Amino acid sequence: MNFEWTDEQQAFREKLRTFLAAELPDNWESIAHHGPGSAEITAFSRQFCGRLAEAGMLFPHWPVAMGGQGLDAWYQTILAEEMWAAGEPRGAQYMNVNWIGPTLMKYGSQEQKKTLLPPIVAGNAIWCQGFSEPNSGSDLASLRTRAVLDAGEYVINGQKIWTSYAGLADNCFLLTRTSDDRKRGITILIVPMDTPGITVRQIPSIIGEGDIHEVFFDDVIVPESARFGDEGQAWEIISYSLRNERLGIPRYHLARCALDRAVGLLKTNGGWKGEAVKIEAARAAALTETARNACYAIVDKRVKELPIGPEASSARYNVVMAERAVSEFVVEYLPQALIDGEPYLKMHHQRGIVAGIASGAAEIQLNIIATEVLELPREPR
Amino acid sequence: MELALSDDQIQILDAIDTLAKPYASVPIHDISFALTSEELDRELAEGGFLDVAAMEELGPETAALVVERLARLPFAVEAAASALVRPLLDPELPRPLCLIQDGAVGRAVRFLKPGATVVYLCDGVVCSFTANTDHVVEAQDESIFAYPMAVLKALPSEIEMRKYNVSADEVLTQWRIGLAAEASGLMAAALAATVTYVSERKQFGRPIATFQALRHRLAEAQVLTNGAYWMTMKAAVTRDPGDAALAALHAQEAARRVTYDFHQFLGAMGMTLEHPLHLWTYRLKALMSELGGRGANALAAAEAIWG
Repeated sequence: MNFEWTDEQQAFREKLRTFLAAELPDNWESIAHHGPGSAEITAFSRQFCGRLAEAGMLFPHWPVAMGGQGLDAWYQTILAEEMWAAGEPRGAQYMNVNWIGPTLMKYGSQEQKKTLLPPIVAGNAIWCQGFSEPNSGSDLASLRTRAVLDAGEYVINGQKIWTSYAGLADNCFLLTRTSDDRKRGITILIVPMDTPGITVRQIPSIIGEGDIHEVFFDDVIVPESARFGDEGQAWEIISYSLRNERLGIPRYHLARCALDRAVGLLKTNGGWKGEAVKIEAARAAALTETARNACYAIVDKRVKELPIGPEASSARYNVVMAERAVSEFVVEYLPQALIDGEPYLKMHHQRGIVAGIASGAAEIQLNIIATEVLELPREPR
Repeated sequence: MELALSDDQIQILDAIDTLAKPYASVPIHDISFALTSEELDRELAEGGFLDVAAMEELGPETAALVVERLARLPFAVEAAASALVRPLLDPELPRPLCLIQDGAVGRAVRFLKPGATVVYLCDGVVCSFTANTDHVVEAQDESIFAYPMAVLKALPSEIEMRKYNVSADEVLTQWRIGLAAEASGLMAAALAATVTYVSERKQFGRPIATFQALRHRLAEAQVLTNGAYWMTMKAAVTRDPGDAALAALHAQEAARRVTYDFHQFLGAMGMTLEHPLHLWTYRLKALMSELGGRGANALAAAEAIWG
């Protein structure tokens, strides 16, 4: 085994850090704590991602045939770590390079590729993901937003909720029901967010502005060509696309950076004395590092093109533990930092609450571990 | 980064599994607090499994793997100190090895007996002596901790101890890696035994494993156990004092979280000596206090990471 980065990987990380140091404005942390879906970060991301693209670092992990450099998942991890630790200046566009772009390439029609990929590649495209509904959260396959094909057009009616970035998105990657067959009755439509009949209402949230919304669809009409893949193919497509997204955000890294920042502050304000504070800091570090290693074990498999199994759920739950431990450490030993003056810790604290809730609740991860890793007999339904 | 096992490592672990097959389960009707086997111990030593750390292509990471794998057996084997600390001192030191720090006199020590090599860390100095009846009081009763243990009665005079030109910090780092490796294996085996039981035991007409109250706590135990394995391996590869202290800390934290749960899930069966669960969990309990316990390992980690 070897836990070291290669010289090339280290150089890539340094290049990213140099880029970030040059491109982020002096007041960046004050902007970043508004949240990745905020108007401030969204506007900033449209310029920032463009420059990142020019520097060849927006999607270096995409295959060469897609315009990338064909770098492996370790580079994607380094890219994500550095961006996320800096407060994610890519805003919502991290999603484009992680899975929307690659999914368009794999499943999109020629027309969809031609129109939808160029803005992503240019670093100027905001997407939202129309998945959860008021009665379909963890049980996503029960979704009810209906799309009816009529004379070459789909008429969409229903409601989505918790939709990140919806207020400022250009397009929605929308899951709709086209038949009653639970999973095989779900179809993806790509819907421009300025289509008549769409109403977006922002939900005030702890995470920051622009991060969660309700989206209403009232007789929204899109052409049949907006369908992505075949009718009923949605479950197959999103299972493929989101397999890698389970670990898309390297939260362990921001958590560790926040912990290091907190210890640094405690050292300057006189709080780093006595044993209790040091013991608690180390306990939090033990969890950020177990989470990091558990995630790296999965990246290692991805690089080797080995199948990723339920161990991804185990790694994700470990990340939740780490996020909570660091947040609790700051709450206990540096509460003032969350009230004033320390946007970085505030940013971490606000975003940390998402870890156990978004992209599949922590309890769902525990269910998957119980059934698929430990192979316990299934619960009765 | 390369996080897969090498072919050599896979072969060594396979060889251990083959050798240890007769020891993979508890002898029928055995109701010991601790289970040991001189024959197993001899076979492991003769097979060179405890000497892999010194082999260039294998190193301490393979030693940690060996310790982790052996800890999964219901039989307690003195492997961690021999495989990870002994190579730093003298590969010929007679086994078993007992690791102690200042303040150990009057306390029970794992694997202590006349003839054992005691490695003593005091004020940054590393020394050793061969235990004899002057130093050792056999435990009056069988120890509850599932290790053979005896009380250290006295230390020999300084002049009777052999001193090593090795830093105590280096020994501590290897000790912590050994502790984490052993705890990882114990947790993995205890988790597996608990999973088997709750999958078979039926109440209310269905396996008790189908109740979410157990499933989620067992799943958390899996996350902690997986974390302990990876922390151990990282520390064994880097030999970094901070990584080693974090690995030991996490192992002790995790052990504390899981041991009572595992017994709890076995119900009354978890109170018996007929089910072997205690052979893993009570070793884990012994390891919880090693190297000063969580607090001391956390302080060592904080010092190494943040100064």
